[in-house]
Amino acid sequence: MRRVMAGIVLLLGLLSMVACGGTHKGSGELLVWVDNTRTAAAKQYAAAHKDLNIRVVTMPPDAGYVPTKVSLANKTGKGWPDVVFLTNPAEVSTLAAAPFDYAAPLEIPASVRDSFTPGALDPCVLGGRLYCLRNDLAPTVLWYDAKLMKDFGYEVPKTWAQYQQIGERVAREHPGYLIGTMNGKYGAGVYFASSGCPTRQAVSLTEVHINAADQACTRMADLLQPLAADKSVSTISPTDPAFAKLGQDGKILMLPGPAWFGDFIFKPAFKLPPGRLAAAPMPAWDGEDKPYSGQVGGGVFVVSKHAGERTKAAVDMITWMTTDVALQAKQPTFPAHQASAEAWGKAKASDGFYAADPVPALKQAAASLRPGFGFVRYEAVWQSSFNETVIAAVTAGKPIAGALPDWQSRLTQAATSAGYTVK
Amino acid sequence: MRKSRRDQAGRLAVWVLVGPYVVFLVAFGLAPAAFGLWTSLGSWGEVFGDYRLGAAVRNVALYLVLWLPVLVLLVLSLALTLHARPGRFAGVMRFVYYLPGAVTGSAAALLWLFMMSPDVSPFGPLLGALGIGSASQALQGDGLIGVLVVMGVAIHAGGWIVVLYGALTALPRDVLEAAAVDGATPWRITRHVKLPLVRRYVAFVLISSFASGTQVFVEPTVLETSARGQISPTWSVNQLAYFYATQEGDFGRAAALSLAMLAVGLVAALLVIYKTRFYRTDAV
Repeated sequence: MRRVMAGIVLLLGLLSMVACGGTHKGSGELLVWVDNTRTAAAKQYAAAHKDLNIRVVTMPPDAGYVPTKVSLANKTGKGWPDVVFLTNPAEVSTLAAAPFDYAAPLEIPASVRDSFTPGALDPCVLGGRLYCLRNDLAPTVLWYDAKLMKDFGYEVPKTWAQYQQIGERVAREHPGYLIGTMNGKYGAGVYFASSGCPTRQAVSLTEVHINAADQACTRMADLLQPLAADKSVSTISPTDPAFAKLGQDGKILMLPGPAWFGDFIFKPAFKLPPGRLAAAPMPAWDGEDKPYSGQVGGGVFVVSKHAGERTKAAVDMITWMTTDVALQAKQPTFPAHQASAEAWGKAKASDGFYAADPVPALKQAAASLRPGFGFVRYEAVWQSSFNETVIAAVTAGKPIAGALPDWQSRLTQAATSAGYTVK
Repeated sequence: MRKSRRDQAGRLAVWVLVGPYVVFLVAFGLAPAAFGLWTSLGSWGEVFGDYRLGAAVRNVALYLVLWLPVLVLLVLSLALTLHARPGRFAGVMRFVYYLPGAVTGSAAALLWLFMMSPDVSPFGPLLGALGIGSASQALQGDGLIGVLVVMGVAIHAGGWIVVLYGALTALPRDVLEAAAVDGATPWRITRHVKLPLVRRYVAFVLISSFASGTQVFVEPTVLETSARGQISPTWSVNQLAYFYATQEGDFGRAAALSLAMLAVGLVAALLVIYKTRFYRTDAV
C-alpha cells in the first residue's frame, strides 16, 4: 500500500513538473508562488512587466506546503521560487533560519517600511533583520450581535472585567448564548496573545522568550475560569460545523476574533442576517492605557536568497503587491499597508451586512497589536499544545491556571527541538 | 537434454516475470533505503532522544490495539456473511464496503470532519449518545484515536473483505458439500470448516494490517489539515519522520526514523512468511 502511495506521489510530482512547472525554465525568469487569492494580482503585475519574464504558480494554502517544497529544492539545489507568499506567516521563521536558509533579509527603504501600520512588520523582523512584508493583518476585535445585545440590555464591554460580568450574567439570564470561544489558535491567539502572554516572543532566529507564569497569562486564565465553568465561553473551534450551527441559531452574543471573521465566518458560515453584526475594540485591562489586539492570521511575502540578480525585481514586486493602494483596497482582508487600509475601509464602511461601520474598530485594533507575538517555528505545537493543556483542563473541570505550567513545558520542549534557546 | 532446455526456458520466464519487480524494488526500495542509511548516520541518537517519539509511539500503539481487532473481526464477519449469501447482494455489498477507501485527500478530511459533527452527521444520535457535542470535542485528547480507528476501519476494511471473500470462494466445494451432507449447520460449517481453511489469510490480514497500522499517516494528516491546531502534526511516528524532513529540513533524522519503521515492517513481513507458511502451496 505504502509503495503504491509512494509511486503515486512520485508520478504526481513528475506530472506537476511537466504540467505546471514549479521550477525555473530559464535563468532570466522570475518565479513567483502565490495562493489562489493572490494569483490574479500576481498575474496582473506579470502582464504589466513583460520584460521581467514573471511566471506565476498557484500553490495550495496548506500549512507546511512551502517549507516542504523549499526543503526539497534545498536537497536538489535548484527549483526555489524567487518570491513566495506565505498563507501561514509563521513559516518565515523556518525559511529564514538554518537548515532552510531560504528567506533573504530584505532591503526596504524606510519610507516604505513606515507606510505600513505601526507594529505590522514587527514579527517579520528576526534578529534585527526584516525577512518579510506583511500583506494583510488579522488583529482581533470584539465582534458582537448588536440586536441581541440591545434585546438583552447589555452594554458592549470596555474592560475585561465588564466582559467577565456579562459572561456570568449571560450564563444566568440567557443560558446557551456565548460570549466567546477558545480553541487552538483561536484561544491562544485571541485571548492569551492579546493579553501579552509571552508564549512566542521571538528575540532572534534562535532565541525565544516563553513564560506562561507571567502575570499576563495568569490574569487571562483567571478571567476565563468562571466563563469556561458556566459555559458562556465555549471550547469549540469557531471553524467547527457545530459552532457554525450555534452561529446559525443566533446563539453568538459576542465573539472576540480576528478581523476577517466578519466577512469569512459570520457572513458565510453563521449566515447572520444583515444589520446585526458590529465590531468593537477588544476589552482593555485595568491599569493599561488602551485595549490591545491578538492576531490570528495575516499573510506575508518572502524573497529567496537564491534570487541572485533577480532580487531587486523580486523585492519590487512584493513591495507593489503589499503597498499598491488600488490593488490592496480590493483585497478580501484588512491591508497591512496604512494608506491601503484607508481605501479598503472606505469600501467596507458602506457594507450593509454590518449594523455599524466596523472599520474604525478594525483600524484601531490594527494599530494596537500586542507586542511580543512573533513568528516562530513551533507554530503548530503552539496551537495543539494549547488544546492539550488548557482546553483539556477546562474539559476535565480543572483550573486553567493549573494547566499553564504544563503549557509552558510543552512550548519549551517544542521551541527547543525547533532549535531555539528558551529564555 | 530436453529437460534442461525446459529448465532454462523456465528460468528465463521467471526472470522475465520477476524482472520488472526487481528493477522497481532496487530503484525505489533498496537503493533509497541504502541512501537513507547513509543519510541517517549520526542522527539515530537524536531521534531516540526526541520527546515527541514517545508520545507518537504511545499513540500508534493505542491505535493498533483498538484498530486491529476491530478491523479483523469486521472483515472476517462481513466476508463470511457475504460468502453465506452469494449472488447480486454480495456483489453490491463488496462494492459498498470498498467505497469509503476511495474518498481521499481533502475531500476525505471534510467528509470525516462532518461525520464527527453531531449537527450535520448522519450518525448524530450515536455521537450524542457518546456525549460528543462537536468535532472539536471528538478530536480532543484520546477521542482522536477513536475517530482514527473508525476512519481506519472504514478505509481499509473494503479491500480486505474482497481479499478474504476471494479466499472463501476458492475453498474446495467438495469439502463444504461433504460437511453439509454430514448434516453440519451453516454456523458449524463456518466455524469448523471455513474458518480453519482461511486461517492463513486471516493471519496475513492481521500481520499486513499491523505493518501498515504502525505506519499510520494518511488519516491523522488528513484530519490535521482541516482541523489545524487541534491535532499535533507529529501525532504518529510516520508523521514525525515526515515532519523532520519537511518542516525541520533534517533528512538525517527523517531517514533514521523511517528505517526504524522499516525494521518494524520487515519483522511483520518475516512473521507472515515463516509463521503462517503463506507461500506453501501444498496445503489447502
